[in-house]
Amino acid sequence: MSARLTRRRFLGSAAIGATGYVTGLAWRGEVKAAPGSSRRLNAARRQETIEVSFGSWSPIQQTTDKMIEAFTANHPEIKVTRSILNYPEYIVDLKTRAASDSLPDIIGLEPGALTQEYRDFLIPLQDLAAATWGDDWQSNFFPIGIDQARLGNPSGDESFYGLPLLTQTINLWYTVPLFEEAGLQPPTTYDEMKAAADVFNEMGVAPLLHGAADGWQRRDIYMQLIHNIAPGLIYKAELGDGASFTDAPFVEAMTWYKRLFDDKIVQDGALGLSAYPQSAALIEAGKAAMFPMGAWWQQQATVENPPELSQGLQGYAPMKFPDVTGNGAPEDLLGGIDVMLGITKNAKDPEAAFTVVADFISGAAGQVLINTFNDLPAVSGLNPETYETEHQKQVWETFTVDWLPKVKFARQLRDPKVKQALEDALAGVAAGEMSPEDGMAMVQAAWEPPR
Amino acid sequence: MAKQVVATRATVSTWPRLGRQEGLLFVLPALLLFAVFVAYPIVYILRASLLDWSGLGAGTFVGIDNYIQLFREDPIFRKTLRNSLYWTFLTIFPQMFLGFLLAVLLNSKIIGRTIYRAIFYLPAIISPVVIGIVWQRIYDPFGGLLADIAQRWDLDWLSRPYLADPKIAIFSCIAVNVWQWTGFSMLLYLAGLQTLPSEVLEAAEVDGASVIQRLVQVVWPMLRPIHLTLILLGVIGALQTFALIFILTKGGPNNATQMMPTYIFLQAFQLQNMGYGAAISVVLLMIALMSSLFQMRFLGARFVVSE
Repeated sequence: MSARLTRRRFLGSAAIGATGYVTGLAWRGEVKAAPGSSRRLNAARRQETIEVSFGSWSPIQQTTDKMIEAFTANHPEIKVTRSILNYPEYIVDLKTRAASDSLPDIIGLEPGALTQEYRDFLIPLQDLAAATWGDDWQSNFFPIGIDQARLGNPSGDESFYGLPLLTQTINLWYTVPLFEEAGLQPPTTYDEMKAAADVFNEMGVAPLLHGAADGWQRRDIYMQLIHNIAPGLIYKAELGDGASFTDAPFVEAMTWYKRLFDDKIVQDGALGLSAYPQSAALIEAGKAAMFPMGAWWQQQATVENPPELSQGLQGYAPMKFPDVTGNGAPEDLLGGIDVMLGITKNAKDPEAAFTVVADFISGAAGQVLINTFNDLPAVSGLNPETYETEHQKQVWETFTVDWLPKVKFARQLRDPKVKQALEDALAGVAAGEMSPEDGMAMVQAAWEPPR
Repeated sequence: MAKQVVATRATVSTWPRLGRQEGLLFVLPALLLFAVFVAYPIVYILRASLLDWSGLGAGTFVGIDNYIQLFREDPIFRKTLRNSLYWTFLTIFPQMFLGFLLAVLLNSKIIGRTIYRAIFYLPAIISPVVIGIVWQRIYDPFGGLLADIAQRWDLDWLSRPYLADPKIAIFSCIAVNVWQWTGFSMLLYLAGLQTLPSEVLEAAEVDGASVIQRLVQVVWPMLRPIHLTLILLGVIGALQTFALIFILTKGGPNNATQMMPTYIFLQAFQLQNMGYGAAISVVLLMIALMSSLFQMRFLGARFVVSE
C-alpha cells in the first residue's frame, strides 16, 4: 500500500511537477534572455566553411539570392543563408528570435526606433568598418546615412549599431504622357497643383493618387508639408526642444493635408486604398497624374514584363512637392536610410559577418543590388551598370547627384508612438472626424520626453 | 458468499488504483503538451501584462496599470470591443440565414447543384489576403467595380467610400466576411439537411404543412446542433479576425476597423509595447472563455454536425 501510494504520488507529482515547472518558468521569466554574452567575438577561424545567417525584409528574396550568389563567387569560404520575410512577419520573427537567443548573424534594420530596440543585441561596427575601408570610411557614405544610422543613440554613444545598405528620397512623381496630353508642366505651387487637379479630374485621372490606407504614405506627405512650412521643426518637437506638436506650423501642415482632400487633388476614397499593390497598379495603368512615392519607384522598370509606362521608366519623372507657403519649395528633400544592416552578438564570427555586410553595401553584391534600382545606394559612386533608356539614367542622376547629397532631414520619426499618433491623426482629419488642431493635440498627447 | 464478496472488493480496490497510476502515464504526454502549449503561454502573457515591457530585456513591474489604462484611457480599445460586437452579431446571423437558404436551395434537385455548391464554398478556401486585395479594388470609389457599375447605370448611391469612411468601414469589412464564410455555413447546413429523417418531413407534409412551415417549424429546429456549431465557430472567428482587416484597412481609417487581434499586433510589435499588448490578449482570452462558457451553459454543448 505504501509502495503503491509512493509510486502514485511520484507519477502524479511528475505530471503536476512538469506542468508546474513549465508554467513556473513563465512566471519567473526564466526564458533565456541576453544573447551571446559569453561568446568570444573573435572566434578562431576554422578551415571549414564559415556560415553567416542573414534575416531581413529587404531586399526582396530574389534580389538577396542574386546578391548572395555574387558574394559567394568572391568568398567561397563564407556560406550565407538568408531568411527574407514581409515586414510585419519580420518584426514578429525578430522579436521572438531575440527572446529565444536565436537571432541571425546579420539583421535588417530601420534607423531610429527599430535599431534602438535591438541595440543591446548588436555589436558596434565602426572598428570593423575602419579595418575594412580605412579610417575615413565614413566619407564613402552619403552624409544623411551616417547621421541617421545613429538616430536615437543615447547621449554620448556615437557607435554605429548598423550601417546603411540603401538610402532614399521622399518626393512625388508625375506621369509624363498625362501631363503632355493635358499640356501642363509639373506644378511648383499649390495653386498650380489645384489648377492641374481640375484638368485631370475632368480627364478622369487622379490628380494625386494617394494610397492613404497606408500610414507611411500619409506621413510622407505630411512630412513634406511640414518640411516646406518649417524645416526641421518636427525633430525639435520630438525632442521637446522648444517646440510642441500643437504649435501653429504643425496645425498649418495638417490643414494643408486636409485641403488636398477637400480640393479634390487627392482621389475619392483615398483612405481606403493601399499603396501596394492597389495604387501601384492604378499608376501603372495610367490613372495617376502624380503620386507620392520615393526613389524606390525606379525599380518598377526592372520587373519582368513591365507595363508600357514603366519600360525604361519612360512614363515617369520625379518632382518635388509643390510649395504651399508662397516662399518656394525648399532646396533640400527628406529621405535617408531605407534599410540598414546590423551584426548581432550571436554572430560566431563577426569579421566574416562584416565581410558580408561590406560586400552587400559596396562590393559585388552591392552592385547586384543597385542594378535592380531597388533604391539608392548608401555609398557614393555606386551606379547601375546598365540603363535601358537615357531618361532612366537622367532620373538616377537626379536622385544620386542632385538630390541625395542635399537630404538633410529624416523621413522617419524617433518614437513609434508619435509616428502612429501622427498617422492616425492624418486619417482622422482627412476623414473629417477631427479638426487639424485636435489631430495635432492627439500627436502631442502621445509624445513623451526622450529617455 | 462472504469470500466472494471480499474477493470482489479486493479486485475492485486494487485495479482501479493500478489503472489510475498507469492512466497518469498515459495522460502525461497530453499534460506536458497542455503545459507547454496552453498553460505556459497563458502564464507568460499574464505575467507580461503586468509589465511595462517592450518584449526584449527586462520589463518594469507596473501591477495592473496596463489594465487601468486599457479600460479608462484607451478609446481605441473601446473601438475594438465595439467592433467585435458588430462583427459577432453581423456576421454570424446573416451567414447562418443565407447559408441556410442556400443549403435548402441546393439540397433540392436543381440542375448543376454540385457546381453551385462548389462556387458558393469557394471563397471559404481562398486566402484572406487575396480576398482583401480583391475587395479593396471592388470597393474603391476611384475606378473600382462598384463605382464603375454606379457610373454606367447612374446608381450614384452605389459609389461610396466604403473603406475610407470611418462610419461605414467596419460594416464594409463585415460584408466581405459574410461573403467569404456564407458558403461554409451552407456546407454545414447541407450536411445537416442530408441527415434529417425523411419520415419526419414526410409526416409534416402529410399533415398539410406548407413548405415554409416545414422549413421554419420542422427543419430549422432539427438543425440545432448545426446552429450551435456555427455560433461557436462564428464567435471564435470574430475574436480571431486579423488577416482580412489587416489587408483591407490595416485597422483604419483612424482605427475605425481595429479589432482586438490587429490592435494587439499594433501595440506589441509595431509600438514596442508588449506589456500592453499582453494585457489586451488577456482581456481577449477572458472574453473568449466567458463566451464559450455562456454558450455551453445556456445554449448547450451539442456541437456536432451529424450523428
